[in-house]
Amino acid sequence: MTAGAPSPAQDIALLGTTRRRVYFVIALAILIVLPFRASPFLLDLANQVLFACIGALALMLLTGYAGQISLGTAGLLAAGAYSVGILVREVGAPFWITLPAAAVVGALLGLVFGLPSLRLRGLYLAISTLGLHFVVIYLGGEYEAREVLSTGVMIDSPSIGGFTVSTGIAWYFVLLVFAMLALLISVNLRRSRTGRAWRALRERDVVASALGINVQRYKLMAFVLSATMTAIAGALFAYFRNFVSIDAFSLYLTVQYVAMIIIGGMGSITGALLGAGFVILFPYGIEAVAAFLPARFNSMVFALNYSTFGVVMILFLLLEPAGLMGIARRLRNMAFARRTPPA
Amino acid sequence: MTEPLLIVDGLHVAYHRTAVALHGVSLRVLPQTIVALLGNNGAGKTTTLRAISGFIGLDNAQVTAGSIRFAGARIENTPPHANTARGIVIVPEREKVFPNLTVSENLTVVSSRRVSASDRKQLEDLVYQSFPPLANLRTRLAGLLSGGERQMLAIGSAILCKPELLMVDELSLGLAPVVVDDLTRRLGTIRREMGIAVLLVEQNAAVALEIADYGYVLENGRVALEGAAADLRGRPEIQESYLGISGGDERRRHRAIAHGTEQ
Amino acid sequence: MSLQLIANVVVLAAIYALVSAGYVVIYRVSRVLNLAHGELMMIGAYGLVATAGLFNGNPVLALILAALFGLAMGIIVYAVLMRWMTGEAVLAAVLITIALGIFLRGAAILIWTTQQYYPAATFGWTNPPVAVAPGVRISTASLAIIVLTIVVYASLFVFLRFTRWGIRMRAAGQNGLLAEQRGIRLHGVYAFAWGLSTFTASLAGMLLALDSGVDAQMATIGLKAFPAALVGGLDSFLGAVIGAIIVAVAEIAAIQYVNPLLSDVVPFLVLLIVLAIRPWGLFGSREQLDRV
Repeated sequence: MTAGAPSPAQDIALLGTTRRRVYFVIALAILIVLPFRASPFLLDLANQVLFACIGALALMLLTGYAGQISLGTAGLLAAGAYSVGILVREVGAPFWITLPAAAVVGALLGLVFGLPSLRLRGLYLAISTLGLHFVVIYLGGEYEAREVLSTGVMIDSPSIGGFTVSTGIAWYFVLLVFAMLALLISVNLRRSRTGRAWRALRERDVVASALGINVQRYKLMAFVLSATMTAIAGALFAYFRNFVSIDAFSLYLTVQYVAMIIIGGMGSITGALLGAGFVILFPYGIEAVAAFLPARFNSMVFALNYSTFGVVMILFLLLEPAGLMGIARRLRNMAFARRTPPA
Repeated sequence: MTEPLLIVDGLHVAYHRTAVALHGVSLRVLPQTIVALLGNNGAGKTTTLRAISGFIGLDNAQVTAGSIRFAGARIENTPPHANTARGIVIVPEREKVFPNLTVSENLTVVSSRRVSASDRKQLEDLVYQSFPPLANLRTRLAGLLSGGERQMLAIGSAILCKPELLMVDELSLGLAPVVVDDLTRRLGTIRREMGIAVLLVEQNAAVALEIADYGYVLENGRVALEGAAADLRGRPEIQESYLGISGGDERRRHRAIAHGTEQ
Repeated sequence: MSLQLIANVVVLAAIYALVSAGYVVIYRVSRVLNLAHGELMMIGAYGLVATAGLFNGNPVLALILAALFGLAMGIIVYAVLMRWMTGEAVLAAVLITIALGIFLRGAAILIWTTQQYYPAATFGWTNPPVAVAPGVRISTASLAIIVLTIVVYASLFVFLRFTRWGIRMRAAGQNGLLAEQRGIRLHGVYAFAWGLSTFTASLAGMLLALDSGVDAQMATIGLKAFPAALVGGLDSFLGAVIGAIIVAVAEIAAIQYVNPLLSDVVPFLVLLIVLAIRPWGLFGSREQLDRV
């Protein structure tokens, strides 16, 4: 047994080894201090990344762990956001009602999105979720059209017992809490019976069912859980931006989330987080570069984002399908190869 | 002594780099001979054929050690179409014809580089000569053929690739003995007419040893036994394990040979 | 249903059928779903804008050049990008086509901006309405689309049934492995399929551009035509035609009798219904489902 490797008991426990405890404390310290040192711009960036983390983890659970393809992220985010929007607008509901309501809507939609997975796999499953995406988006558009809300629904910032969450710093901590919750759920699922069942599903659901795993129940569970998390993220987003509009929820948004888990590394929690960071920060990087380009391109930043994002996605899919985690692994192997002699 | 057409030397094949399928298989095929490759399910026969024909990459398998030489050139891990161009043609065990093409389309669709336009005409005639039933089925969809007819068509389309080495994976599987007899006879005729070598993978040892000149028995990814077909037919191990002729202790001996604990 | 409405359905069905042909060609031969098809159609249309600008006095030349560009586009996309995914998981290949589509949309705006272009105007052509029956009018370009759709499908039928290359493509689509074993170069077949697909897409795009102009939104038509291909069964040409008719009827009926806003979502409702009842489509082959 090599020195320094964790024992099985230590490995199972969340923060078993000393090394992990140290990492955790350092990370926590950085995360807590960050908002007080960062500029408002960076703070907003951090908040966006935290949002994306929740959605990315949700998608990673569904696709990376349970192996169920879904192109429904944008639709689910919209559902969460619209639950808030409609409840606030129609009955002025406070957020401690709207948030659970969004979760319920998410769960129900998750069930709907998940039903095709009982019969379909892979490509056809993806197509069915694509169809559902358009239906959800249409319904949102219908609402806006009927209520003549050309610029979307306005929402006030949420209040928790008299304290209104409206500043960047306040949102940071709220989002951090939710993101850590999502992280905790993901990490625990990985080591739980459900997680193992999902992994069996991902490999070969025919075999899984032969092993006595109730394939249908676990597939639906994956969809429902993932959808609930995503809908909650959508609801938070509605409050964060103080408004909801159907234009924000396009197929491109879904593709961005899919890209997050691919670029980060499919099936990996760290990968989902890295991917979320990458995809959110990427357009800002492009904008910075665009400053050096001729004026013509400068004014079409959106199109520039689009096209460079497409290229990056292609590059990852072609060259490093295991994503950033794959790259990290390769670098680590290269480093180790120098240190340890061949077997 | 003629130079062997195909030399497989110490071949190791692994799936996903973990599950090892072949543990050092060595065999040779001399020109214009029929060599039988016997063994039960899972012994490694199909893996050997796949390695030779270049389709090894399919199941994420790889040649990890050893060599395959064809007409002097090393061919391990070369792509399938390159091997077809060299004259190594395989008749697969399943999915051996194009089901929604007619019989004649199945033949005309073959487009190996080796085959010139005049070659093609000759070869097509040879196919219809060797398998007369096909001549009446030219416009029938291949998917609607009987098992025997389909096998004939499969071998026919292989012939249209102008093979030097024809590899057949499970000639007799699912076919009635009468049909199998017929096929093996025709195969022998083709071998003579075209002067090709044949590597015949078979679970049914009796059938294979009937027409083969030489034989290898694979067990658990290794060559357990080899010899001239006539000799093999007489060996009690073969009779016992593969020809279904009983004789209790022999089975244990045979297994001992396969696992290398007895010479 | 008035005759005019029927005429509109026929035109829409022709558009969907023409675009669907491209999905079916690639899927049938290589099991890949090209979700960049709409964007490629759009680029084909922009191709006409470019050649029209260069040869505005010679529309025939401009059209031919643009069509050739459409053909070349598909072959280039395969040779540079898609061939690396041959043999890999189909889903990964489909993801790459999604990324390609995104790239093309962005690139199109960067090159041509969000402005709407009218190549017909560049040629000085008015695209006059044609009376196909008493009281029923459709634009000349629409009529051309209908004619073109018929020609394309007839040609595809003849090509696949009777020509050497066509039979090879069918063989490759049925059993790629066996095809390789029998000397058929899959890369060549796939590249040709892609070329054929973008060729027909570009023709559709060009005619649509002549009819009602082109901008970056044209790619959406590609996505709306996809349910038509799926309804028919992704690997069936006959199915694509039937599917196109079904979707066109549903869409126009919904616009006319229910709610015009439904126009973009009806194709996907049809898609969902089909997936719920008969996922492999009306004429598709069933094994495809399990293989995926």
